[in-house]
Amino acid sequence: MPDMEWLSRNKIWVGTAALVLIGAYAFYAVNSNIAVSMFSYAWFLAVPLVLGAMVGVIGERSGVVNIGIEGQMLVGAFAGFFAAAATQSIVVGVIVGALSGIAMGAFLAFSTVVGQLDQIIAGVVINIVATGITSFYFESGKTIPRGLPNFDVPLLSKIPLIGPVFFSDGPIALFALIIVFVLHFLLFKTRWGLRTRAVGEYPSAADTAGINVIALRLFNVTAAGILAGLAGTYLSMEATSTFERGMSSGRGFLALAILIFGAWRPMRALAAALFFGFMQSLASQLQASDVVNIPQQFINLLPYVLTLVVLAAAAGRVRAPGAVGQPFVKGD
Amino acid sequence: MKAKPFLIAAPAALALALAGCGGSTGNSTDGSSTAPKDCSSADVFCIGLVTDTGSVDDKSFNQAAWEGVKAMEGDGVQTKYIETKDAKDYAANLKQFTDQKYDAIVTVGFLMTEATQTAAKANPTTKFIGVDQFQEATVENVTGLVFPEANAGYAAGYLAGLLTKTNKIGVVLGQEIPPTQNYAKGYELGSKAANPKISVAKVYHPAGDNAFSDSPWGAGEAKKMLAQGADIIFGAGGGTGNGALGEVAKTSGAGTSLYCIGVDLDQWDTVPEAHPCLVTSAEKKLTDGTTDLLKQVKDGSIKGGNFNGKTGLAAFHDFDSKLPAEVKTKVADVVKGIEDGTIKVG
Repeated sequence: MPDMEWLSRNKIWVGTAALVLIGAYAFYAVNSNIAVSMFSYAWFLAVPLVLGAMVGVIGERSGVVNIGIEGQMLVGAFAGFFAAAATQSIVVGVIVGALSGIAMGAFLAFSTVVGQLDQIIAGVVINIVATGITSFYFESGKTIPRGLPNFDVPLLSKIPLIGPVFFSDGPIALFALIIVFVLHFLLFKTRWGLRTRAVGEYPSAADTAGINVIALRLFNVTAAGILAGLAGTYLSMEATSTFERGMSSGRGFLALAILIFGAWRPMRALAAALFFGFMQSLASQLQASDVVNIPQQFINLLPYVLTLVVLAAAAGRVRAPGAVGQPFVKGD
Repeated sequence: MKAKPFLIAAPAALALALAGCGGSTGNSTDGSSTAPKDCSSADVFCIGLVTDTGSVDDKSFNQAAWEGVKAMEGDGVQTKYIETKDAKDYAANLKQFTDQKYDAIVTVGFLMTEATQTAAKANPTTKFIGVDQFQEATVENVTGLVFPEANAGYAAGYLAGLLTKTNKIGVVLGQEIPPTQNYAKGYELGSKAANPKISVAKVYHPAGDNAFSDSPWGAGEAKKMLAQGADIIFGAGGGTGNGALGEVAKTSGAGTSLYCIGVDLDQWDTVPEAHPCLVTSAEKKLTDGTTDLLKQVKDGSIKGGNFNGKTGLAAFHDFDSKLPAEVKTKVADVVKGIEDGTIKVG
């Protein structure tokens, strides 16, 4: 049976997931209020990381490193917020935020895939330009009519614990959750996914097989920009309803770490982002409740130290796509 | 593989150009007197302001200090600010003013204490005003404008203690440095004085570059506190705190059962998105203090060391009619008690 085969291949992951779920529900049984608020906070922090990591997954699976996610996010937050403030329409804001992500993605795609600019340099350029323009054109005192509203998904929001955590949030958070599964399906079950992985692993073989490597990379990196733009829009219009200079606060770089932690796979990246979010939530809870008398600086190290430990344990098992970082030149 | 150097050079040059724009400097003269005056002349009184990392319109410290500088504008006065983009640039930004022989230089924020003292020692004729910078050792030409944050926090906490129905309140802070620690301490003491059963949840931003501009983090912390039953949130930490205020404002019950309290300035004017919940702000009279000290520089009476600015609570605005008269009287008594010294905080 194929299902049994899948189970035995993924027994570590399924087992871990089951353990985590049991643990979470045990916590929920002990104190439902604190459990829900801590997991909600974890997901609240994880949303931009998940979206950012998905941008990385698409890019690196096609062979293009994107370290400009941070800048794409910042521009998305900026463009979305100010478009919404100017038009007083949050819908326009979200669309403009997503489009600005595409524009940044297109810059990365054309400069690295067509122009063969070093991918790291292109990413750094995006980050610097993003900080520059969002600071320069920033105007204070602008407001948007309201942030993106939270809503309850019918039926799903009634599930204990999972409902209030994942299905009572705003539209971008819900989208982030869905896109992980969609992307997993696309990447591993469709022709586009097979070609994308081929182009990222061994582009000359893919080229020989008749795949247009350049076109596919261009499309993927550009389109992935939508997700980065939305991650930014989430920061300025869903998580808050304000723009602050530098508000992406390193989340784009964290997303890259989560991408590696998640072994370049969408669902594992989701798990990694949730893990990181929960560690932050735990640090905050320990600090706020004052139950243990540990300096907060030390508690706040916890997410990073634990991530490092898990990363070290997982190291050696993860492998980057073969052609990541290398420009493709036909006939080389 | 063919290299295309122009493709590297062009975006890099663009990036540098734009990054240059980012570190913008501004001139307050608004075009009325475009030509910069000669600051070394005795007739011209030049005031320069260097912001802490953040902008001059940050709705917080930098803005309030800059407003204090602008209040000095008039004949023979030149004012100018430089926005610091990176803490590494403090010294370089200060040097721009000292090189042009500015008469008074205002530096904003606790983190600039050391850079200000270093510049002052190198330029003994220039007067420095360090907003929010406690002076451990007196440098003759540096005056630290300090505020007993604990006093402002105490008044805010006292109000929170009277208003809470759940006996749980929270405070979302920026980086853990003495000013935020004092706010938190005063807030806790004040709330316990009003309501001994109260519990206070307190979080500092994990120290880092973005401790005062991470509004999503502040919003998340507020969300978690509210979910755990807190009904009043004090947001004390620039943009990070503002994120917390915004989150309370958009939660159902804002203004009827949930309230938020701003910090440093009257945030009613500066964070409009917090109007639904913003009862008041724990205020440092930063603008007045800056202007007072600049006047002292001008008439030559300024002394090195520390200068205590005033603190208090900002106006209640829309909540003036909603708060019970009894609460308002009690809070006014406490504010008065702190001012005349009958209430000692800490």
